[in-house]
This record gives sequence, structure tokens and C-alpha cells, in this order.
Amino acid sequence: MSTSPSDASIQVAAAYYDGQTTASRAVQLSIGGGDLLLRGDALELRWPLGEVHVSERLGNTPRLLTFSGGGHCEVNDQAGLVQLLAQVGAGRHWLDGLQHSLPWALTAMVVLLVAFAAAYKYLLPWGAEELSMRVPASMLQKMGDSTLETMDEYLLKPSTLDAARQQQLNEAYAALKTPADSQLHYKIIYRSSPEMGANAFALPNGTIVMLDGLVELAQDDNEILAVLAHERGHVERRHAMRMVLQSSVVGLVLAWYVGDVSSLLATAPAIIMQAKYSRDMEREADVYAEQTMRANGLSPCLLGTILDKMEAAYLAKMKEKHPEAGAAKDNSAMDYLSSHPATKERMRLMCPDK
Amino acid sequence: MQEQFGQKNQSFEFTGSGWEYFKIWIVNLLLTIVTLGIYSAWAKVRRLQYFYRNTRLDGGSFDFHGTPQAILKGRLIAFGLLLGYNAAFEYDPMIGLGVAAVLALVMPWLLMRSLRFKLYNSSYRGLRFGFAGSTGDSYKAFLLYPLLAMFTLYLLAPLAHQRIKRYQFDNSRFGNASFSFGAPVKGFYILYLSSLAVMIGSVLLAVALAMMMGSGAAGAAGIVSGLMLAGPFIMLVMLVAMLVVSSLFSAYMQNLVWGNTALGPHRIFSHVSARRLLWVRVSNFIGTVLTLGLFMPFAAVRMARLQIESMGLAVSGDLSGFVADQQLNATAAGEETAEMFDVDISF
Repeated sequence: MSTSPSDASIQVAAAYYDGQTTASRAVQLSIGGGDLLLRGDALELRWPLGEVHVSERLGNTPRLLTFSGGGHCEVNDQAGLVQLLAQVGAGRHWLDGLQHSLPWALTAMVVLLVAFAAAYKYLLPWGAEELSMRVPASMLQKMGDSTLETMDEYLLKPSTLDAARQQQLNEAYAALKTPADSQLHYKIIYRSSPEMGANAFALPNGTIVMLDGLVELAQDDNEILAVLAHERGHVERRHAMRMVLQSSVVGLVLAWYVGDVSSLLATAPAIIMQAKYSRDMEREADVYAEQTMRANGLSPCLLGTILDKMEAAYLAKMKEKHPEAGAAKDNSAMDYLSSHPATKERMRLMCPDK
Repeated sequence: MQEQFGQKNQSFEFTGSGWEYFKIWIVNLLLTIVTLGIYSAWAKVRRLQYFYRNTRLDGGSFDFHGTPQAILKGRLIAFGLLLGYNAAFEYDPMIGLGVAAVLALVMPWLLMRSLRFKLYNSSYRGLRFGFAGSTGDSYKAFLLYPLLAMFTLYLLAPLAHQRIKRYQFDNSRFGNASFSFGAPVKGFYILYLSSLAVMIGSVLLAVALAMMMGSGAAGAAGIVSGLMLAGPFIMLVMLVAMLVVSSLFSAYMQNLVWGNTALGPHRIFSHVSARRLLWVRVSNFIGTVLTLGLFMPFAAVRMARLQIESMGLAVSGDLSGFVADQQLNATAAGEETAEMFDVDISF
């Protein structure tokens, strides 16, 4: 076998099958006069090159030369075939180079990893936000109602706050000027919960659940207003809806990617990643609260003050429950896994003078 | 390779390599994502061709001839069905149930077409495989027997499984030669019952061990702490048992089904080792998790090597005597018609 590409005497060993039986016949392939020539024991065939389909290179698998009249050749001599085809300037499949080089494989890998990371960090939150802003109010109402129903059943107890006090807070909240008007119907409902203590949370439909513990903890009604503004920020920015959308997309992609491995494994990262999202959302709600407070001539530092108290109350309760745990752990250590950013950091952002 | 009475055992060989497939896989995955999934049909053809062409028997290799267009069409149909199904349920559960019933009625036919697509597009030494199963039999295998199994509290599940395999294998063709399937129903029952027995046995063992651990401490406190320990412990034992049993089950099932199948005069044999299957599965899983999925092409190659190289053909005479089926070729003559109606709904 010659190595010169212009030499017409290049021969490549192949196995020929006629397509009618499984009989294998050893042949030598060569090119002459615009035809592909097959020569073997008592066998001589020729096909115009235009009637021969050459399979693309696929790793080290045999190359197949299929003839339009039926029959094909199987070639295991990769290098020889490349030389033979080079004689007639046969083109390669456009992916040939890409699929068989390590640098390209590594490039594709890096591009994929960067694309996934970028999609997760930017595309997903953006998509969820765009979509959640288009969710009709009736659907948010439904989501809020069903959430409250479940919580009332398992977590919440009726409030012991007297009606006059509730009315007073409702009026203060109604008088609060807010940055943007929305189509949602905002209201406060009062509940108590020994487990959750001093807290308040927003439902997707604009209802804010105020727990007795928080009203008792606050020394100043403006502190309560700060919390209400923060919670309203969550609703305005559709945080609950966005969380649901984001975690379901992440879950879907992971389930598709991990495939048969384990669906259990697919849900765990989704939950951890979700915690990170809600940290960003807390900041967003803080910004909303800050704007609201300033618009009403109130100090945004009040939110920091009440958050500090809520945290202290929470830690005290934890200590009471698990005295063996000793002193409260350093809050910053829990920062990564917790869904609430460390209060100190939030205060610094909102209330730089302090 | 042993020879007796003109018979010789010819093993399948698998010549793929993990690195080689990784390079093909990652480039095609990137293209799939860039084209929002459309290119996945082309990627699938390439994947199948890579695995088929690396599978060799007696010097010849297999090949896959399906077109990406047919696969894309199949995927669009599957996606449409799924979407319609979910939308119907969202709209009204009653309509959803109706759609589910219609799907169940269409499914056997779709599965039959899918088998035909897969086999007709597979070849060895230039000869196509084929599938001659009738529509009526596909309804028996894919609808009647599974329903029977359901209504008998799965007492007939092994029978239903055997009927599905029998339908698939007995109706397969290579050229004008037929596959014949002889795995007895008894074999399926033995496999199902022994898997169940091992599973129940390991749970009982776990509970017994947990109770022993609990009884170490005295009184009510001992029982409580024993129970607290027992929960996770039993879960762990169940998980390990499930892994072991599912590997045993798949290995013996492959051996049962393939080991009782013959192609014309040539008997097929299959000796997958359950222990090696378990090892490949566990190590593939760990590798895939640790590399965030980048190990998947290596895992696929390892699994294919184990499954393919455990099989072979007890060749009587030689393998050069198969002849193309003129009738099959005639019906599939217009490849266009074949592609119009044959879909591939498997992913």
C-alpha cells in the first residue's frame, strides 16, 4: 500500500456483503476512472463514486460504504479509507473533526457547564419573574387560599389579640403609602402559633398573616409596619410564585438529566438551591420595605431593630428547647444554608448610619 | 470457543471505548441544547450507530439505519400525547380519564409500530432484521395480559411478562429466518418469587436486628431508642436489598429471555453475572454523581460491554447462510411508507 495520496494504486481491505445473503467476501477497494473498484476471489465489481454512500466516521467503528443498487462494504482500516477518499477529495461530515478531538470535547464541556451555570443564575430567575408577573390574580388568590387552609389546619391557632388592637393595626397599615399600586387586595389576618413565635408571613394573594408573638414583641407600631412592608415586598415581587416555578423547573431538568439514577437524589439539590434564591428574595423584600418606610417618613432602621428582636426571641426559644446545645451558634456559620440572610448583614445594607 | 458436532460458540464482542464515546456524546449534547432539543434525534441516531457498529459477531458488525426525521416525528407524537394527557386532566379529571383510556387503547399499536421500526432499521452483515407481530397479538400482549395481571392482584404478572417477551422475540426475524422463544412461564414465576422472597427475607432480618439492638437497653426507653434507630437502619437494609435484588433480577431475566431464544438453528446463550452487574451499576452511579453526570457516556459503554459480551450464539454450521426475506423487503420497499407510519416512541 502506497502512502502517496495521488497514487491511484491505494488499496484498502474490506468485507463485501451483497445485501441478499450474510456471506462475507474479502475484497480490496481502490479507485479508478471515477469508479470504486472491488476486487476479490472471483469477484470484480465497480460503482460510479456518485452511487456510493460513505458513512460518517464514528469513533473507531467500521466505516460502511453502501451502494445504491444494494450491497455494502465494511471497512475496518480507518487510515487507509481516509487516504483512499482523499484521492477523490471526498468531503468529511461537518461534525467529524468536532466529535473526535479531545480539545473540542473539553471545549464543549466547558461551554455546557458555563451555559448551565448561567441559565441557572440568570435565565431561570428572569424567566420565573417574567412568568410570575403574568400569573392572573385569580390564580394567586387560589394559591393563597389553599396555603392558608393547610396552615390553619396544621400550624396556626386563632389570635388572642382583641378586636380594637387588630383594628388599630389595620388602619395604620391601610394608611401606609406604598411605592406602586397593584391589583392585589392586601389585608392582614391575625393568628397565633407557639411553634413559630414572633413572626409574620405573606401569602401569594396579598394576605399577610400576623402572629400574636410579633405584635407583643414590637415596642413601636412602626416596627410592625416595617415588617408588614417587608412582607408586602414579597407579595409584590411574586416571590412565592417564583419559588414554585423555579424549583419545578430545576426539578424537571435534574430528573431529565439524572434520568434513571434516582428521583430522590434529584430533589435534594433543588431544595438547597432554592434556599439560596429565597435569600436574594429577602433582600428584594428589604429594598421594598426600605422604600416604603422612606416614602412614609419612617426610618428604615426600624426593620433592622425588629428583625434583631425576632432573631433574639428565636434563639432564646431554641435554647429553651435544646438547653444541651449550649450557647447559640455563631449566626454567620448558618448563613449559607439558612434561607434568611444574616440580620447583621441586612441591617448594614438598609441602615448604613447605624 | 468450543467445537462439537459442527457447533461452535461465538461470543458477541463490544469494541466501544468510554473516552471515544465521551467525545461524541458531549458534542452532540451541546448541539442538542443549542437547538432546544431538536438535534437530540440526530444525536440518538449517532448513539445507536456507535453502539451497534461496535457490536461484532464473527467478524461482522451490526448497524442502525433509522433516520433522525422518523425519530423526531416519534418524539413529537410522544410529547403531544403527554401534553394532551396533562392538559385534559387539568381541564377536567373525567375527560382526563377518557384520554387515558384512549391512550391505553392506542398504546399496543404504537408499541408494535415501534418494535417494527427498531428491528427493520437494524442490520447485521447487510441483512435487515424484521418484526412480524400482528396488531391483534400486540393487544393481547400489551393490554389483555397486563389487565389480567392487575385484576388478579399481580398473581399473573410473571405470566404477563412472559407473554410480552414471547410476543417480542417470537415475532422477530433476521432475513428470512425466525427467532424462536422458548422461555417457560415457570422460569418467570421462579424468578419473581425468589426475588420477592429475598426482599421479604432481608426486611425481616433488618427488623430482627433492629429489635435486638433495641433490647440491649432496658425498659420503655430501650424500646423507644431501638425504634428510633430501627427506622433508618431498616431503610438502609431495604435500599441495599433493593439494589442487590434488582441486579439479580435483571441479570437472570436477561439470561432467561435470551438464553431460551434461538435464531433459526443457532441457539443464543447469555450468562450475565449478577455480581458484575451490581458492581457496574453501583460504580456507574457513584461515578455519575461525583462527576455531575459527565461519567454517563463511560457508564453507558461499561454497561453495554457487560451485557453484550455476556452473550453469544451457538453457531451450527456458519453464519453466512442467511438470506434476505423478499416479502419483508417488498412490504418495506417504499422506505417512504415505512417511515410515514413507523414511529419510534422509545427514548
